[in-house]
Amino acid sequence: MYKKSLALLLVSLMILTLALSGCSKPATETGSEGGGEEEATAADEIIKVGWMGSLTGDQAVWGQCELNTVKMLFEEINAEGGVLDGKKLEVIGYDTKGDPQEAVNVAKRLTGQDKVVAIIGPNASGNAIPIAPVLEEAKVPDIATVATNPKVTVLDGKVKPFNFRVCFIDPYQGAVAAGYGYDVLGFRKAAILYDIADDYSQGLTEFFEEFFISKGGTIVAKEAFKFGDVDFRPQLSKIKEANPDVLFLPVFFKEAALIANQARELGITVPLMGGDGLPSEQLFTMAKDAVQGTYIVNHVDYDDPEVQDLKTRYRNKYGKEMELNGYLAHDAVVLLIDAIERAGVADSVKITEALETADVQGVTGRIKIGKDTHNPEGKEAAIVKIEGDRYVFQQKYSAQLD
Amino acid sequence: MTQFLQQLINGLSIGSVYALMAVGYSLVYSIMNFSNFAHGGVIMLGAYFGYYYLTAAGLPFPAAFIGAALTTCLLAVIIERGAYKPLRERKAPFLYFIISAMGTSIFLENMVIATIGPTFRSYPEVLSRTPIQIGSVSVGRLDLTMFFISAICLALLVFFIDHTKMGKAIQATAYNIKASALMGINTDLVIIVVFALGGFFAGIAGVLFGMKYTVYPQIGIITNKSFIAAVFGGLGSLPGAVIGSILLGIIETITSGYFSSQYRDLIAFVLLIAVLVFKPSGLMGKVTEDKA
Repeated sequence: MYKKSLALLLVSLMILTLALSGCSKPATETGSEGGGEEEATAADEIIKVGWMGSLTGDQAVWGQCELNTVKMLFEEINAEGGVLDGKKLEVIGYDTKGDPQEAVNVAKRLTGQDKVVAIIGPNASGNAIPIAPVLEEAKVPDIATVATNPKVTVLDGKVKPFNFRVCFIDPYQGAVAAGYGYDVLGFRKAAILYDIADDYSQGLTEFFEEFFISKGGTIVAKEAFKFGDVDFRPQLSKIKEANPDVLFLPVFFKEAALIANQARELGITVPLMGGDGLPSEQLFTMAKDAVQGTYIVNHVDYDDPEVQDLKTRYRNKYGKEMELNGYLAHDAVVLLIDAIERAGVADSVKITEALETADVQGVTGRIKIGKDTHNPEGKEAAIVKIEGDRYVFQQKYSAQLD
Repeated sequence: MTQFLQQLINGLSIGSVYALMAVGYSLVYSIMNFSNFAHGGVIMLGAYFGYYYLTAAGLPFPAAFIGAALTTCLLAVIIERGAYKPLRERKAPFLYFIISAMGTSIFLENMVIATIGPTFRSYPEVLSRTPIQIGSVSVGRLDLTMFFISAICLALLVFFIDHTKMGKAIQATAYNIKASALMGINTDLVIIVVFALGGFFAGIAGVLFGMKYTVYPQIGIITNKSFIAAVFGGLGSLPGAVIGSILLGIIETITSGYFSSQYRDLIAFVLLIAVLVFKPSGLMGKVTEDKA
């Protein structure tokens, strides 16, 4: 009997350790050059910052770029003497696999086990929304990069105390797309093809539709697909019959590329238009000819002199072009460093307070955090158009929300 | 009318893609009575092999095409030897085969993510993307090619099964594996041949797929639909797999074209369930007690 219960105890201990160690492997890296073991005396001089996002899955290209950007910036900051008079920054990055459940686990791990002072990411709204309770419990602030759904920072009219972001939100993005399409490009009949299973896609569709109709335009076709689909010809054949002026695609680049190819095959020649899910170097690999002339509501003007330096540094270090997410990850770092410096201490609650009054200049524009929304207020969108294999800047455009 | 014809062509072309993959499921099921979910992973690798034979090795298209099919043929046999044979020797329940198959599928996907990377790769333009116009209906060149290659492959397969000694052995083994073994059929060899055939088809489907939808690690997901098509047509029956696939393709396109694309899967799958309720073995399936 005694032996049996001992064995049971041992087994349960083993299971427990398995459960604890079975979480995703940390992609941790100290910011310092060489990345060797830190000396014991310097150990308390390190400020740990968490990062979360997709390192695998459909959006891995974006997540990897974000983490790379944060690592590069931390290395640069550390080389120049760190923050708060010599403290070094370290990033601990975990993979969310683009899965909301996994995002919650990662947030728990970063706050509970790694004791980070703040978290950067994730980029997807669907992953950024469910982590709020974890942040509130641990009192650790999070700065989302490209999570544009309103619910990331505000729920039922109340601001979530520990969620911040550096990007504009979907109603704004939808309003900009509708306004620019109607007023500047003169589109009157729009067709929409969206992902019925995705928060981002549904939200953007709703707001685009609302603003486009309130301007006086009509939605001549509104068709849906489901995540994982690769063939869109049935929907596109229907859209072709409706004869729109523009095809609005509130989707991510993979679907956008496949849709563009198939639309052109079916003889749909109208311009395409999309939100911040589209810009990626991958779009050109997959559908360069089909996406020519596409208009995109973007966060950043790639040709802006301000961003050239960052682009070059990234290309020199990683030998790849920076993805859109890198620019927003950069601004999240800028916002965070400013808050840490103003807080004067690497304490997550003090940093949160400092974030609420932040007003910094990033590469994607001025980021002035609104106290009631935790969004960057009045941030302009950059309209870009695809010409060749470049995103050519058209103009800055801001829309009025009510 | 134009709209209807266009949707019908869309449906046929999607259906023929499902058919190429569904045949792989049905072949294995007919012999081993379990659903080989690793098939999707093999198709994905077929797409990658074809891509690298074309670009990195610089082979002409027909050589790359056949090369990819032969490689996946070998791969499918290796998977059978590594993941299923040990289970078979221990007479494991069929559920274990399915779990082993799912494990293999997840392993293959993650292996590609870890080694080749998660980015998308595009086949060089082998066939012109400009569609052929017949009246006001446009038909993609690639779709036509896919349709004919699928048809030829399926015809060859039917010929092989019906008119060769090995084909007869496959039929006998499908009917009753134990009795066939007693009659002197080398059932182990039959199983290898069946996996090799499935792998060959997976390679062909993979290359055609990669050309049409670009290559990425999650491309195997689409096999879910073809598996459903195989069940619909009757798992284990080759004509059933083909007919089920084509029907599913057409039902899908007609629902999105004439009812609503939002409800496409809802309507299409209610129809499928209805068919299975009245005919549990699928449209052309053999009546068996054990469907897994």
